[in-house]
Amino acid sequence: MITLLKNAKIYDPAHQKNGVKEDIYIRNGHIIAKPSDTEKINETIDLKGKVVMAGAIDMHSHIGGGKVNIARMMLPEYQEALRYSEPEAHICGPHCSHHATPSTIETGMRYIEMGYTAAFEPAILAINARQAHLEMGDTPMIDKGGYAMLGNDDYFLRLLSEKADQKTINDYVAWTINATQAIGVKVVNPGGISAFKFNQRRLDLDENNAHYQISPRQILQSLSRAVHDIGIAKPLHVHCNNLGAAGNFQTTLDTMGASDGIPMHLTHIQFHSYAAEGDKKFSSAAAQIAEALNKNKHITADVGQILFGQTVTASGDNMMQHLNTKHANPKKSVIMDIECDAGCGVVPFKYRDENYVNALQWAIGLEIFLSVEDPWRIFLTTDHPNGAPFTCYPHLIRLLMDKPFRDEAFAKLNLDAQAMSNLTSIEREYSLYDIATMTRAGAAKLIGLGDRGHLGIGAAADITIYTEQDDKEAMFSKPSYVFKDGELVVKDGEIIKVVWGKTHTAKPAYDQNIEKGLKDYFDKYHTIQLDNFKISNDEIAQDGRNQVINHTK
Amino acid sequence: MQKNISNNLSSTTCPACGLLCDDISISNNLENACAKSISFFTQKADAASPTIAGKAVNLAEAIKEAANILNTANNPIFTGLSTDLAGFRAVFNTANHIKAPIMHMNAESTWRNTKVLQSKGWQTTTLMEVKNRADVIVCIGTDVISHNPRFFERNVWNKEALFTDPQARDIIYLGGENLDTSGGASPSGKQPTILPCTTEALPEITAALRALIQNKPLKATTVAGITINDLQAIAERLKQASYAVLIWVAKDLDFAHAELTIQNITESVVALNEKSRAMGLALGGSDGDTTVNYAHTWLSALAPAEHDISQHDAMVWINSFSPEKPIPTTDAPTVVIGNSNLQFSTPPAVFIPVATPGLDCSGTLFRVDSSIVLPLKKTRESTLPTLAEVMAKLDVLLT
Repeated sequence: MITLLKNAKIYDPAHQKNGVKEDIYIRNGHIIAKPSDTEKINETIDLKGKVVMAGAIDMHSHIGGGKVNIARMMLPEYQEALRYSEPEAHICGPHCSHHATPSTIETGMRYIEMGYTAAFEPAILAINARQAHLEMGDTPMIDKGGYAMLGNDDYFLRLLSEKADQKTINDYVAWTINATQAIGVKVVNPGGISAFKFNQRRLDLDENNAHYQISPRQILQSLSRAVHDIGIAKPLHVHCNNLGAAGNFQTTLDTMGASDGIPMHLTHIQFHSYAAEGDKKFSSAAAQIAEALNKNKHITADVGQILFGQTVTASGDNMMQHLNTKHANPKKSVIMDIECDAGCGVVPFKYRDENYVNALQWAIGLEIFLSVEDPWRIFLTTDHPNGAPFTCYPHLIRLLMDKPFRDEAFAKLNLDAQAMSNLTSIEREYSLYDIATMTRAGAAKLIGLGDRGHLGIGAAADITIYTEQDDKEAMFSKPSYVFKDGELVVKDGEIIKVVWGKTHTAKPAYDQNIEKGLKDYFDKYHTIQLDNFKISNDEIAQDGRNQVINHTK
Repeated sequence: MQKNISNNLSSTTCPACGLLCDDISISNNLENACAKSISFFTQKADAASPTIAGKAVNLAEAIKEAANILNTANNPIFTGLSTDLAGFRAVFNTANHIKAPIMHMNAESTWRNTKVLQSKGWQTTTLMEVKNRADVIVCIGTDVISHNPRFFERNVWNKEALFTDPQARDIIYLGGENLDTSGGASPSGKQPTILPCTTEALPEITAALRALIQNKPLKATTVAGITINDLQAIAERLKQASYAVLIWVAKDLDFAHAELTIQNITESVVALNEKSRAMGLALGGSDGDTTVNYAHTWLSALAPAEHDISQHDAMVWINSFSPEKPIPTTDAPTVVIGNSNLQFSTPPAVFIPVATPGLDCSGTLFRVDSSIVLPLKKTRESTLPTLAEVMAKLDVLLT
């Protein structure tokens, strides 16, 4: 069975195709070269007036695992709008708060309707990995995967404080990726989640965890080296110390230098780009951060843009989220210490454009997007649901592509915040090619998904087809067609077929002897058996759903 | 022991209570098993066949009759829900298909906790943090071990801990009735502190403790028979702790507006965490209640609610794990799907025995402290279908 997409206007940055007209042939879920004239074309779709990109990849979105589920459980009011059956009462746009805590089913549905074909859970607590995979397993339509959190777990911190050699660290990191079925490694507030358990309330890059007498910088050095040495594609995913604190940009700049040139990805960097100037002691450091990103070629970042409306923040960073509980709106929150492994903090938030800090956060995110020169090294995220629900992406894309639209939104902000931002002086508008880079080619390259994020021969046929429009929010909200692994699953913005996607993992090699020390640790200090910590492929892939793909070569 | 599929199963998970001890070893005998665990693992295999009104039928006939009952009813309910994740997913799909509500047998006690979570949230911990950090443990209105027999053995009186001396821990029981406080005595003989009061006095006592922790002056000198000096001593011990853990079991707080008592506990923890470190911990749990709670939430974006069974004109009662637990009485026709050892005073309209996860088939359950999910093993041969298989066959017959 061959499907021909005719007259396609292709944006495929992986192959430097910037709006070129070409035909695409699909067979058995993959893009193939033009077949010989004798082969039968079963279906032809004429794409005149359409824009074709690979399926989009969200490289950082909290779609599975304990934190988001706590948010769902804590916030039944977010679902209230859905109870009204009258259409006029059910005003449900991208800013509707129920999108902040969608069910797993709805998560998959809303992603594919926007032309996203994969999303990655960036904060899988190793001990909670089974839950993360169960939730992702109940997420239809898209591919899934995730990054295992390390760097606050007592096993790693003990290794580091006992001056274990790098090989032991590497083996432990590789073992954890295998055991948790992850594709990358994340560190959240390096050492800080652990420090909070010892009653420390803040931790700077060169400040020691009081118990282990090691600093976040040492943790970053050790983990970034390990991730590099074991040969996985995805660089260490770093949520810096001092999340959300005024003046934290210096920590972020210093963090860029902490890995001795080894690649690192700094996530939701907007939340880490704050200076402390001005009357309100809160100001933008977007210019300094963007300049450093432009200079430090080993660093990539995603933005974590905030957009105005009701949402919920869910983070592993319980140290900083505990400080944020006083800003909770509505006034409730959950803080957890979890299993000598990590923690979590779930705090509902309402971002308001008339609020000085919120307005400036909005501007800082956009300043960073527009000041970082290389779209291969900056990624489009709202840190769903922390900055805004992922359903806001089309709105965010329009803010990036449409300066008059952006300026109009800016003019509605808190006036003091307007006075502290240079956003209107930035002329740049993202092109379709730039958007395709940051949401497709760049994301696939960063994570190491060889056959996704591009439209070359052999690629998986995850393809999104938009109708070209001046209103980019409308264009990116409702693709005309979405193909998932070669099957037409969305037509004119409506889902026509339910599929279940795949699970992307890495399986780096490690020395089996690492389990000797782990077994002893589990037997003495853990509450479960080592064997039960490890997740098998069969637990994830069931009934033909969520097939486990190993991207380690 | 019955015919096991292997005569040596180690690291086996026990689903008999919310602790999910996974160090059970099944060989010629059961190692590390508590009384609940022994009674779970030694129940009879394949003890019944399907029945309609007490009369033996084959599986297809039983499923057909169950479908007839559900198709005739205007407003059926799926309840009991003592099952694992795979079973729950199947029930959720079918209940959604016919727009029937679903409710776990522990919904009333679970809902006490959910109300607190949805009102103010909370600050909580998990068992491994307790095991390695806790130097003060307060059990409020509960002895824990009536629900979770191995709690102290596995998580408190350990040989070693990462950050504290296990034998030096202070155990405090505050209120509750008919408690077995033997678990709180250390193996070296250190005795727990016991401040007795009735269960119904707990709202007052916890409010007073919360006030003392928040440094609010109290005029009274005693509250429900406990002196303020004694409560003040507990408040001070909690403030001085490296890591205090305040435990409750929602099932033991069986009185009106128990959620306000739980909130006194959780807000005490919030107040302590302003300066020192403390965490709450809700224990108990059984019959896959935590699993149902979590999976329902991610599948629907809402925590499961409570329903009044008497308002429904047909009931499907699902109970895979606990044959000793009674079926609620209702005038409506009842379809029972569950453990083959279930006993009935009056035979239900339909009974379909199914495999028990952790015995007859593999499975997946959440531990009571919420973040930890463990696999259950198939530990013996069985001819029974799984709940998911039965629901799939039932689902296609429903209109």
